[in-house]
Amino acid sequence: MAASTDSAEVPVLGPGQTYATVTDRISGVILTKETPRGWWIGFGIAFMVMMLMLFSLTVLFAKGVGVWGLDNTVAWGFAIVNFVWWVGIGHAGTLISAILLLFRQEWRNSINRFAEAMTIFAVANAGLFPIIHTGRPWLAYWLLPYPSMFQLWPQFRSPLLWDVFAISTYVTISLLFWYVGLIPDFATLRDMADNKVVRRIYGVFALGWRGAARHWAQYSRASLLLAALATPLVVSVHSVVSFDFAVSSVPGWHTTFLPPYFVSGAIFSGFAMVLTLAIPIRKYFHMEDFITDRHLENMAKVMLATGLIVFYAYIMEVFFAWYSGNQYEQFMIYNRMTGPYAPYYWSLILANGVIPQLLWFKRVRRTPWILFIIAIIVNIGMWLERFIIVVTSLHREYLPSTWTYYAGTFWDWSLYIGTLGFFFALIFLFLRVLPMINMFEMKELVHHLSHRGKEH
Amino acid sequence: MTRIQADEKLLKRLGSYQKASLIVGVLGILVLIAGYFLGAEDFFPGYLIGWMFWMQVALGALVILMIQNTVGGRWGLIIQRVVEAATMTIPLLGVLFIVVIIGIPHLYEWSHAEVVAHDELLQHKAPYLNTPFFIIRSVIYFVLWGGIAWLLRKWSVKLDEHPDDAATRKKLRNLSAPGILLFGFTVTFASVDWMMSLEPHWYSTIYGMMFGVGALASGFAFSIVVLMGMVKYKPWSGIIQTLDVSDLGNWLLAAVMLWAYMAFSQFLIIWSANLPEETTWYIARTTGGWQWVAIINVFLHFFLPFFLLLSRGTKKEPGRLKKVAWLVLIMRFVDLVWMIYPAFSPGKLAFPWVSLAALIGVGGLFLAIFFHQVAKVSVPPLYDSRLPVTQASEEAHGHVS
Repeated sequence: MAASTDSAEVPVLGPGQTYATVTDRISGVILTKETPRGWWIGFGIAFMVMMLMLFSLTVLFAKGVGVWGLDNTVAWGFAIVNFVWWVGIGHAGTLISAILLLFRQEWRNSINRFAEAMTIFAVANAGLFPIIHTGRPWLAYWLLPYPSMFQLWPQFRSPLLWDVFAISTYVTISLLFWYVGLIPDFATLRDMADNKVVRRIYGVFALGWRGAARHWAQYSRASLLLAALATPLVVSVHSVVSFDFAVSSVPGWHTTFLPPYFVSGAIFSGFAMVLTLAIPIRKYFHMEDFITDRHLENMAKVMLATGLIVFYAYIMEVFFAWYSGNQYEQFMIYNRMTGPYAPYYWSLILANGVIPQLLWFKRVRRTPWILFIIAIIVNIGMWLERFIIVVTSLHREYLPSTWTYYAGTFWDWSLYIGTLGFFFALIFLFLRVLPMINMFEMKELVHHLSHRGKEH
Repeated sequence: MTRIQADEKLLKRLGSYQKASLIVGVLGILVLIAGYFLGAEDFFPGYLIGWMFWMQVALGALVILMIQNTVGGRWGLIIQRVVEAATMTIPLLGVLFIVVIIGIPHLYEWSHAEVVAHDELLQHKAPYLNTPFFIIRSVIYFVLWGGIAWLLRKWSVKLDEHPDDAATRKKLRNLSAPGILLFGFTVTFASVDWMMSLEPHWYSTIYGMMFGVGALASGFAFSIVVLMGMVKYKPWSGIIQTLDVSDLGNWLLAAVMLWAYMAFSQFLIIWSANLPEETTWYIARTTGGWQWVAIINVFLHFFLPFFLLLSRGTKKEPGRLKKVAWLVLIMRFVDLVWMIYPAFSPGKLAFPWVSLAALIGVGGLFLAIFFHQVAKVSVPPLYDSRLPVTQASEEAHGHVS
């Protein structure tokens, strides 16, 4: 939604790109026998970290959730923090692919593919946590309402159940959206591949796409429909996640603005993650012509806007805690600011509230390395935010005799870091076998831009 | 660049609307004054409702203007001058706020020392909820809003004469982006002060956002009603055909959806936790007849406009879009009655007739200024690069003297 003055300054596509160069540059990363060394190193590290996750999961399943730092008072710890954090990250992908498609924002074209991939991998990680948090993950199907012999029926008034529906819908739509968008590119890869087996594999996924006019007509209808279906999910999924907290009567959780606050936080952290990925990727694969400074700047603007809403929420939380006159609300804020987790709280204010204010400056938005650092800080800040929300409200609740101090154990941390490995391993695999940028949409952009050039 | 003047017929029309509004407004104010001296029941709550309606239209217009200046988008071209004109009423609304100040003892329980003396919670809130600070805060809001609106209007009109003035263009954006932030905070506190503190024990953190989004919906609905009324006249007839008016419909849809989302979130969270200090607000508004207003609000403030605006046909057809916008405007008023009046008549459905007199009186003066401001400058902003090229030159040939 940048104003017209901006588009004149930095284009959404580098100069001199044609249909052929677009295809070559993007498919070249995949259809080469030589896997770059950097890829092996990155994938190797991510893979090893992923092994840590599997190890941690094995220990968890063998011994139970007692290996975590949970106790009777703080019954929701890292698992919920990580769940909320990962779901939030997924939101940027959906926003970019659905809402920006509906708003006909052409700058979304080069970033939507890997943002969607990011969404799916992030949600996969998110889905893991509530399931293992149940303690008996092999009975996870009990969460679903099915005709059961023991008359076990889920509590439909509980948002935890709504989560099951919200997240599973989210995964389904995101996966479909991503796959449908990939079909024309699969066909291109099929046609370009030299290796017979590779051609066959891409051919199967291309579903017999021949690029006929009818195919394109149905394709664009399907994308618009999926975009329309995905749009409410941007808001609904994280709203339902926020209800998990807000419908309770726990101070700090029970507050009416939690849904919009969570949704903004989700988009905020999601764009931070997209920037964290996009900046190194475009550098390493020399994709500066496709992911231009304009893309980075626009994403930085979305981050600034959503970050301000989050900051507004931090301030209003304090104001209303005082205004409420409720001693428990007031204690909750006081405890956050001065209690045992005060360093966490103030770091989160710094990371999410203060540092993102740098994004007001155009120079910061246009300098990739600064943006990269801010994005990483926001990622950390958003994790801290969820930690503060989950833990500080629980560890000193109404009854002082139950107060405890909660900290993650080795197994909490290893599982969390392990999921990061899982996430990045999937990202690396994605970069190697699927086109990271939507080829045909870029070609469409080439067409639009050359057409527009002639007009004026 | 040449000045695109409105059609003679349109100017005449605007002039007569202005006169009519002024007459109606003055009559409305006279009725209000008479009502006050004749001791009309619940004069101040009624006045607050009517005044608040126009206040939130102006606030909606202000935030639309700032969003437009920040993010651009083609829809801004058609709406810009209308919302600019609507924000020019903020000083008037500030003056009319004096009536609310006079009414503080009648409106706000926290202003009575003897009540506060027996109420621990109000004593706690007294540093914020006290008459002098309340007035100071309101003055600050009006100065900020009025100041921003005045500057944005000044620069925008200046750009008509000097479209290449990059510095002024930059100023528009540099004020608008932080302006939205400032707006978020001021509107939150204003809604807490003017409306939420009518029930000073109760609070809800989403209240400010919900009010802001309601104002946004009102701003769009009001602009659509005005624009679709001018659609037959030049230069709008040409511009609106070329540009997609359905964007405005989409914005209205988005605002209505956001409002419903927030209203529902607040309800669900309060219902679910079921804490006595919070449920009082809903009990006052869902018993003794008020529940019917609540249900009407759900259906006509959300479901009906939602389904109508989903259809592309409604958004493309000016006449139908205008009808939906009217519906939203009416429902905004009903919603304000439902938000404000149960504080004075909890659990007992009643309608303060004074609110209608206030709606008409304040509205007449509001509209008189509004129409005057619309007719004063070139109807579409001339410096706008999104103005269709052919259209501009054609209009220029046809209507420039």
